[in-house]
Amino acid sequence: MSVETHSHNAHHEDPDVVGSRNRLGVILILVADIAFALSMVFVYFYLRAQNVNDMWLPKATEEHAAIVAVSSSKAWTVTAIAAVGLLTHFYALKGARAHNDVQLKLGSLIALIASITAIYFQYNTFVTAPFTFSDGAYVSCFYLFAVMNFVHLALTVFISFGNWNRARLGLYAANVWHVDIVNVWWVWMVVSSLLGAFCLSFP
Amino acid sequence: MTTTMNHPAAAAGKSRTPIIERLNIVTAFALGAISAFVVWRLALQFLPADSEVRLFTREDKITLLSMIAWFVGFMTGIGALVAPFRWVMGKDLSHDENMFLAGKDMGIKRYFRYTTDHKVVGIQYLIITMVIFGIGGILAMLIRANLGTPEGGLIHPQAYNSIVGTHGIIMIVGTIIMVTGPIGNFIMPIMIGARDMAFPRLNALSFWLIVAAAIPLIWAQFIGGISTGWSAYNPLAGQAPLGMNGYIMFICIFALSTMVAGANITTTVVRMRAKGMTWNRTPIFIYGVVASVALALPAFPVFFLSQVMSGMDRALDTSFYNTAGGGSGWLYENLFWIMGHPEVYVILIPAVAALMEMAPVFTRRPLFSFNVAVMGIAGISGLSILVWAHHMYISGWAPLLNAPFMLTTELISIPTGMLFLVLVGTLWRGRLWMTMPTLSIFALLWNFMIGGITGIYLSDVPADAFLHGSMYVTAHFHYTLMGAGLTGALASLVYWFPKMTGRMFDKKLSWISFWMVQIGFNVTFGGMFIVGLQGQPRRVEAYAALFNRGNLITSIGAAVIMSGMLVLLYGVISSWRHGVVAPMNPWHAKTLEWTVANPIPLENFAVLPVVTSDPYGYGKEKK
Amino acid sequence: MTELKPSTKNKWWKHPDVKKTFIFWLIFTPAIGIFGTQFHVLSMPDPASEVMGGVIGLMRLFTWAAAPVAALVFAICATALTSSRHYGDNPPADADHQISNSPRANATWIVVSAMLCLFALVTGLVVLQKEGDALHEENAIHVNVTGQQWAWNYDYADGARSEVLYLPVDVPVVFHITSKDVKHSFWIVEMGIKMDANPGYTTETAVTPNKIGVFNVRCAELCGLLHAYMQNKVHVVSKADYEKWLADRSALEARS
Repeated sequence: MSVETHSHNAHHEDPDVVGSRNRLGVILILVADIAFALSMVFVYFYLRAQNVNDMWLPKATEEHAAIVAVSSSKAWTVTAIAAVGLLTHFYALKGARAHNDVQLKLGSLIALIASITAIYFQYNTFVTAPFTFSDGAYVSCFYLFAVMNFVHLALTVFISFGNWNRARLGLYAANVWHVDIVNVWWVWMVVSSLLGAFCLSFP
Repeated sequence: MTTTMNHPAAAAGKSRTPIIERLNIVTAFALGAISAFVVWRLALQFLPADSEVRLFTREDKITLLSMIAWFVGFMTGIGALVAPFRWVMGKDLSHDENMFLAGKDMGIKRYFRYTTDHKVVGIQYLIITMVIFGIGGILAMLIRANLGTPEGGLIHPQAYNSIVGTHGIIMIVGTIIMVTGPIGNFIMPIMIGARDMAFPRLNALSFWLIVAAAIPLIWAQFIGGISTGWSAYNPLAGQAPLGMNGYIMFICIFALSTMVAGANITTTVVRMRAKGMTWNRTPIFIYGVVASVALALPAFPVFFLSQVMSGMDRALDTSFYNTAGGGSGWLYENLFWIMGHPEVYVILIPAVAALMEMAPVFTRRPLFSFNVAVMGIAGISGLSILVWAHHMYISGWAPLLNAPFMLTTELISIPTGMLFLVLVGTLWRGRLWMTMPTLSIFALLWNFMIGGITGIYLSDVPADAFLHGSMYVTAHFHYTLMGAGLTGALASLVYWFPKMTGRMFDKKLSWISFWMVQIGFNVTFGGMFIVGLQGQPRRVEAYAALFNRGNLITSIGAAVIMSGMLVLLYGVISSWRHGVVAPMNPWHAKTLEWTVANPIPLENFAVLPVVTSDPYGYGKEKK
Repeated sequence: MTELKPSTKNKWWKHPDVKKTFIFWLIFTPAIGIFGTQFHVLSMPDPASEVMGGVIGLMRLFTWAAAPVAALVFAICATALTSSRHYGDNPPADADHQISNSPRANATWIVVSAMLCLFALVTGLVVLQKEGDALHEENAIHVNVTGQQWAWNYDYADGARSEVLYLPVDVPVVFHITSKDVKHSFWIVEMGIKMDANPGYTTETAVTPNKIGVFNVRCAELCGLLHAYMQNKVHVVSKADYEKWLADRSALEARS
């Protein structure tokens, strides 16, 4: 391999280069998370189709009442709130690109509030579920989706808090790409929540 | 954080040492142990008693919670959470802090910290890989000792099953990281002309996650072990002792590590190759590493999920795999093998690619058919996610799908054949420079050929109905993962040893260990093929007298492998300490890592290189 | 097979390495074929069913199909090793050519491996089809096999139960297999059939024993503590003996 050399300054890489590198890294990590979420969809529909021992939704017995699937409306509500978060974060991103500081701060703050609201609703779904863990395969899947969405939302709260805080401190003047990457995460947050809600609509 | 810290030792003497400098392996273990203990005490105190349905649910909850606490405590203690929280607080790491994290002027201490320099991470990976192989090898010798006589009985069946399972899973993990860990981290960035990985902190994270994962697995050995084999099939895993929780945690944390490493390595290669290093000038080894980690990226989360559900079944009494509650064992098998088959190529591809990288160097001629090599790697990667159900031909889950999966499985022999073509094509009319890596190329062709042909028998549904679950399968995958994979990894160690340690690997010792390992290997697994064909099932602790002879052969061979490995270990230690000091380019190779001086400066290149041709320009031009 | 050699100039076959490789190949092919088939056939148990005979035939066939390819790879290795070896701490002079590609060799290699792959697939499919038909044999006897830690139980159609499997010779049998606890795998070694016993599901496999004698049933899936001991015998007897055994068993079952 023939090698020529040219001078290069190590410590001041172009923010665009760093940004695109970080963006690719986050997308690759999301590939893993997407594989995780898609296999959950597989789990849901596989167990639903197999209905082993007729225990997807157990019928009534002498000791137990029949297990009835909960309405998926709560899952859709969480998804809708997350979608609001995404939209406001996108609004903030546009603000950041246009160097509109107020828009950036406002959008980030509303996105943060949306994520907190969504996690509250998710928690609520979890604690008000009218069954316990051992009530059949559907219930198991329900809890699996609830746990996954809760963990995703907890990460979202962490990230959007950081995002708002950084916007507040004015750290985004030079590197807008942080906001852009947070946006990538928001998109996936909404899509993953949507996948869960979609599955739970077919009990 | 405004103090300049050009000399960390001096900074440490000041009254207010920044937290980032206090954290190291000691604080990590301390914090991990303390939080595990506290959570264990609290859980013991406050968790309500079980219902009568399940006996161990409460103990499972306590064990899992303590292990999670260990994990969080350890990662906090090592410093993994510093940067994310600093990002949230809006106090990004300064340049000096980043240099501290990179281990600037820190000497030996940097190997025990959350150090971000890829060369440090590479050496850390090398050490942990050797530790894993050492433990896995000892466990293998225990298995062979127990199988020394047909009655077994040397080890209690429960302990024996646990040894088999632990040997399996840690060897799998060891072989997954054996090339992409040490070589992929240390050499790969230099090979592409980069100063470091794309995400140095993620690099440190991927290594320390493996350390964090190891403890639950060791812990598991004291609370009942992993008595299910490495595949941990449910519902057997559901009724296994508490040690199973250790397996679950181990897999989940290791999956995080592969995810992080996969994103990091892939990004590094895609975005940070030297100027002029177009895709057809990129060394083939880089392709192998990227294919491996990129394949792990979608595969391991599936494994992660399967273990999350396994843990939920145990601790919360859900019914993912529990048939009484509507779960399905076939679900587990599907998830497991959707990960499991790509995973064998995760192991194999970088090892073969490493030997392809060495082949032109030791034959002094260009690599034959670079394009075919890339096609082969891509073809294997692509097909490998479509073949998982050949592990389930006889599970009865979908007999109609056996034919399509037989098709995809046999198709994979075409890209595999391409890798053979590239290697034999490069040997063709070359001038062989006889070194241990050169011998390894021949060993790989021999072992991989046997592993490949036996794989074709196994891919055939009717033949598999006889062979599945027998020792034949065990011998087959050892031929591929060890005979091909480990051979490539050992050759890589010897080949890149001068660059990683600054000293040459002792030639005599490398040859002795090579012949001992290869001969021992073929004896061991030749014997295992025989008992498999005679009908000995896998994972048994006693067997019929009929299988005596084959097992004896295997045990003798295993002892030879172990001795050869000990010679190799001695070679590593003695060469590292007082081997011949290596010149900058001992093999007269043309890839970029041989253009940097020994010892390699912190940022590898003072000025970044520009690449103008592919690295295989050997051979005399025809007149 | 020699046209697989990579070369760019005319009359490539006149190169001494080609001749050498060809001779090695001529020696290696039968050597690998004979050793490979003997290694497998001598180790495998004598077949007690047509299925097992088919498996042995299949392995023989595949070994012979793979032998020329393996022989070619090893022949090239042998040629390389015998042509130019250099020992020492410094590299030998560069090779006298810069061959880095050969479309002809690549194409031939890929086409041949694709054809071998197709051959393996078709052979497998033919046998698979035959085995699929065996499940629907009309005059077959049906046995329910239940695995549990760590023994097998057999239930026959007319109420007989047994812990040891008895089968009549030359009569097709269909097994309906399930498990009470964890996954097992029902393997009649000498008959070459194996099917997992899954809790919550029933799976099926079929075979026609064609030899009177005592054969082995083993569990082929790790199923816990005593997995190694989950093995038993299968007695294949004449039709008359089988009827007698069955009547005894049914009577025994009716009494209890």
